[in-house]
Amino acid sequence: MSQSYNRGTVEDFGRWREFSAGMWAWIFHKFTGWVLVGYLFTHIAVLSTSLGSAQLYTSTLQGLEALLVVRFLEVGLLAVAVFHILNGVRLLMVDLGVGLEAQDKSFYASMVLTGAITVASIPTFLGGPLA
Amino acid sequence: MSTQIEQQESETEEQTEEQTVESPGERRRAQKREREAERQAQRETEEATLDDEETVLLKVFRYDPEVEGKQEPRFDDFRVPFHKGMTVLDALIYARDEYDSSLTFRHSCRQAVCGSDALFVNGSQMLGCKTQLADLESPVRIEPLPHQEVVKDLVVDMEHFYDQMHAVEPYFDADETPEDSLEEQRQSRENREKVKMSTRCIWCGACMSSCNIAAGDNEYLGPAAINKAYRFAMDEREGADRKQERLRIIEQEHGVWRCQTQFSCTEVCPKDIPLTEHIQELKREAVKNNLKFW
Amino acid sequence: MAEHYSSFERGGRRWLLQRLTAVFLIGVLAFHFLLLHFANHAADITFAGTQARMSQVGYFATMWLFLVTATFHGVNGVYNALVNQGIAGTQKTAVKWVLVVAGLLLVAQGTRVALAMNGFL
Repeated sequence: MSQSYNRGTVEDFGRWREFSAGMWAWIFHKFTGWVLVGYLFTHIAVLSTSLGSAQLYTSTLQGLEALLVVRFLEVGLLAVAVFHILNGVRLLMVDLGVGLEAQDKSFYASMVLTGAITVASIPTFLGGPLA
Repeated sequence: MSTQIEQQESETEEQTEEQTVESPGERRRAQKREREAERQAQRETEEATLDDEETVLLKVFRYDPEVEGKQEPRFDDFRVPFHKGMTVLDALIYARDEYDSSLTFRHSCRQAVCGSDALFVNGSQMLGCKTQLADLESPVRIEPLPHQEVVKDLVVDMEHFYDQMHAVEPYFDADETPEDSLEEQRQSRENREKVKMSTRCIWCGACMSSCNIAAGDNEYLGPAAINKAYRFAMDEREGADRKQERLRIIEQEHGVWRCQTQFSCTEVCPKDIPLTEHIQELKREAVKNNLKFW
Repeated sequence: MAEHYSSFERGGRRWLLQRLTAVFLIGVLAFHFLLLHFANHAADITFAGTQARMSQVGYFATMWLFLVTATFHGVNGVYNALVNQGIAGTQKTAVKWVLVVAGLLLVAQGTRVALAMNGFL
């Protein structure tokens, strides 16, 4: 796409104040998608310790869970997954032709719900023995 | 002023000397000249006191590859007197006529049917002739449509847009025409209602310029083209075979499937066409169509 | 009958599968999270616990399906994001095959892991 002068695309994050709800939804869905795919590969890699021995598996996983930073990452993972699911439901509704008039409101609703669910889960995630 | 009236009187006096009756036409024309002179005097006094009047500040994108001073894009300020009901196009025309005659932009009908003056105003795509200055925050920032090559100032190259439109064969083309050449091809009221909104497209290009996918993927047909395809694919007068052909065009990888339901197109369309909804309907049509062939 | 009748051009089938896998994943991912973080606590993971769960056929099958659908949904998502961004030509073909291979490898490795977890391997 050649441009004789680069005035910045509409996606230019410098213009983020001008972004519409639908555009934010698209950006966040993409971002959370990449994070989840990255996590999927990492997750299978970590679980591959089960191919070693039972002790290796148990000690690796419990060792990771003992780190506070991992607990926080898990909360982040929950937020990312919950948003992707809720916005995904919104997109499925759009694909079925339901509720198109309220598409921007449903985006805001999914953001709020994501926040609420994440905050509500923090005690459970941060509970349990730490190193 | 008083001298003019006196002159008028003396003129008519002279006339009555020569002609016993002054024709109504001549009287009307004399009065018309009087009124025009009054108005001109009023306008002059108004402009003399420009600072006291309500004005609007325009920041307009300038760029001209052929002029030395304008090869680097910049924004020019124009202060334009405001009157009730003034549109962005009115303001641009005033700026061009009064301040800088090299200011270049497309416009034609000034009533939102030709699609010439789609612009990027305060960060959104809109038609210049349809946008009230009173609805905009000052200063009003006017730029050419994004994602397209700028030819000069506010004029963009629309060729890519037209190519995508032509790619969907945007013309009525029925499978069969009635045997009697004088017979009409009738359309039911319901069918007309269905395609009504999609017929409103004025090819302004605002939608395609607002779509992030159209910006990234050069081959994407774009909302306007797909809407055009919808307009004909859903028209019952065309026949089933033609509909199949039309669906085949838009079912390609860079057709309907690239739409990510961002909704920006629907938001900026100046004719309020529910573009995303139409694209979604075509996706569902395509899926249903293909499932029959397992 | 030698011709392939499906008139799904590139994109139509994958679009539909992305939605179908999405519906499945909503349920399974939520279940996975609730089971492994709320019903059981992640801090208490042991191989024995994992093996107990994976020994149940239904659970094992669900987890394996989870692996396959998540891999498809994720890899297809990445591919589409890149096409939207505008990759084309040789680069696009190369990326497509890299993604296909990565996806297959992931499913293969994941299957090995699942079998190790239920004691088969």
